Amino acid sequence: MYLAIREMRFAKARYALIATIMLLVAFLVLFVTGLARGLAYDNAASIENMSATHFVMEKDSNHRFTRSEVGEQALEQARTIAGENNAEPLGVRMTTVMAEGMSLKLDVTLLAVNPEGWLMPAAAEGSAITAKGEGQVLVDSKLKESGVRIGTVIVDQGSGMKWTVSGFASRESFSHSPAVFLSEHDWQQLQQLSATRDGMPVGMTYSAIAVKADKLQAERLAAAMPDAEIVKKSEAVSAIPGYKEEQGSLMMMIVFLFVISAFVLAVFFYVITIQKSSQFGILKAIGTRTAYLAGSVTLQVLLLCSGSLIISVLLVQALEAVLPGGMPFLLHASTLAMTCGAFIAMSLAGALLSVWKVSRINALDAIGRTAA
Amino acid sequence: MRQRIILQNITRTFEDGGMQRTVLDHLNLSVAEGELVAVMGPSGSGKSTFLSIAGALLEPTSGDVLLDGQSIIGKDHQELSDIRLHKLGFIFQSANLIPYLKVEEQLLFVAKQGGMDNKQASGRARELLQNLGLTHRRSAYPEKLSGGERQRVAIARALMNDPAVLLADEPTASLDASRGMEVVRMIAGEAKEQGKSAIMVTHDERVLSLCDRVLYLEDGRLVEH
Repeated sequence: MYLAIREMRFAKARYALIATIMLLVAFLVLFVTGLARGLAYDNAASIENMSATHFVMEKDSNHRFTRSEVGEQALEQARTIAGENNAEPLGVRMTTVMAEGMSLKLDVTLLAVNPEGWLMPAAAEGSAITAKGEGQVLVDSKLKESGVRIGTVIVDQGSGMKWTVSGFASRESFSHSPAVFLSEHDWQQLQQLSATRDGMPVGMTYSAIAVKADKLQAERLAAAMPDAEIVKKSEAVSAIPGYKEEQGSLMMMIVFLFVISAFVLAVFFYVITIQKSSQFGILKAIGTRTAYLAGSVTLQVLLLCSGSLIISVLLVQALEAVLPGGMPFLLHASTLAMTCGAFIAMSLAGALLSVWKVSRINALDAIGRTAA
Repeated sequence: MRQRIILQNITRTFEDGGMQRTVLDHLNLSVAEGELVAVMGPSGSGKSTFLSIAGALLEPTSGDVLLDGQSIIGKDHQELSDIRLHKLGFIFQSANLIPYLKVEEQLLFVAKQGGMDNKQASGRARELLQNLGLTHRRSAYPEKLSGGERQRVAIARALMNDPAVLLADEPTASLDASRGMEVVRMIAGEAKEQGKSAIMVTHDERVLSLCDRVLYLEDGRLVEH
């Protein structure tokens, strides 16, 4: 639009200043969003990576893997309802291990899966544990930084069990601790070595059953297993210790940044609009329509906002490239698009005040004094 | 002679501290093509109200305003906007140009609003700037112009959409004597040349010699002395 663009050309410094503020805010919004997503993924990567839709957990376990215990019977039931290949046992235990020959202790999460099932991640380096691979584990590649290599023997502090690292998988963690995948067989041994709870059936127990089920099957599962709870994947993820708290505070920051950006724009344009009200009066007097002027203000907001966004997206991407691996950062195209959309929407909300003000300006003000 | 603007029995009353005040009382005026009429009067006599009504910015309490024979009473905001855009040319006290538009763009903007095509618009802008001796200033911003030049740009802008009527609100208020004379001479000249009816509200007695008629606003009516 004719006026909007020429005004920005004329008052470059003024608009550049506000664009810079917008740029910084937009950058911060995108960066914090990326960090939040990154942390979320880093926290729950192993669960997120699983292609399961639901988890069968013990009732009253509060959706927490570490609290839940289900027996083999539940696995059988789940397999009957969801299909033989759509249910897999899963053991989860947070523990501390020591690497043999090294003095350091590592906090890890043991994830027991069927070595040939679909919960087993692919090895990025080395080899995955084989069906009979007893005493072998596949560990998160983050452990490399602590000195763990293929062939390193790790010892569980609680039970004294020893496993040999056979390979590394990338991006596998649970509650920010690196994941250690072991076979069902080893899990069973581990269970027997640790004290079992009273009243639980002796035999094979797991933390949960991962199932791929549609809505109907999930309902049937729930009906068939009154002692168990069918938990959606997203619910299970947010019940991971620390997940909700972490995401909550980051979310609050993001929301505040959105509100701040809307306010900054609103105040800036409102002040400018008030400053220009006699000018708008003149424009209206010579026959410019209010809709045109309102459109002009809105266009300026949009231009500033999208310009700042484009630059900050580039900046964030540049930053992502140089960010150290230890800093979890994840910004998918869809998250990026949604964040940008929300940012533009908030900015437009900020422009509303000015548009309202423009509509209130009377063309009569252009003539010296209207009436007595 | 065509009367391009006719004000018939215009009355305008205001509520003022609970009292009805009649600012304009059955005012009548018609201005012919090519004629420049000066309207004088002390402050508070209703000059601005008169100009606002003639300029389609304010509805009279009663009476009728005809532009090229068409009434502008009872129209909505948008229609009035269009009337101001196409039928009226305003020249304000202190030029009131848009600060961020170059001289030529001031004219092109008005043309664009009026839906004139680009080629025609730039032709007309060039011609008007030539007439008003502003060709060398066409890409200057208003802040770089002298007061007289600004007022000349305002005249060019007022003429851009080929209106029926020129309305000037104390166009010489911020100018010295010689520049004031020059500006009014140009308004008179353009009105004659392009067949407009021109009304100028003024305090400035020096420029009255350039006007075809001088009217005084007294008791809500226009009288000749």
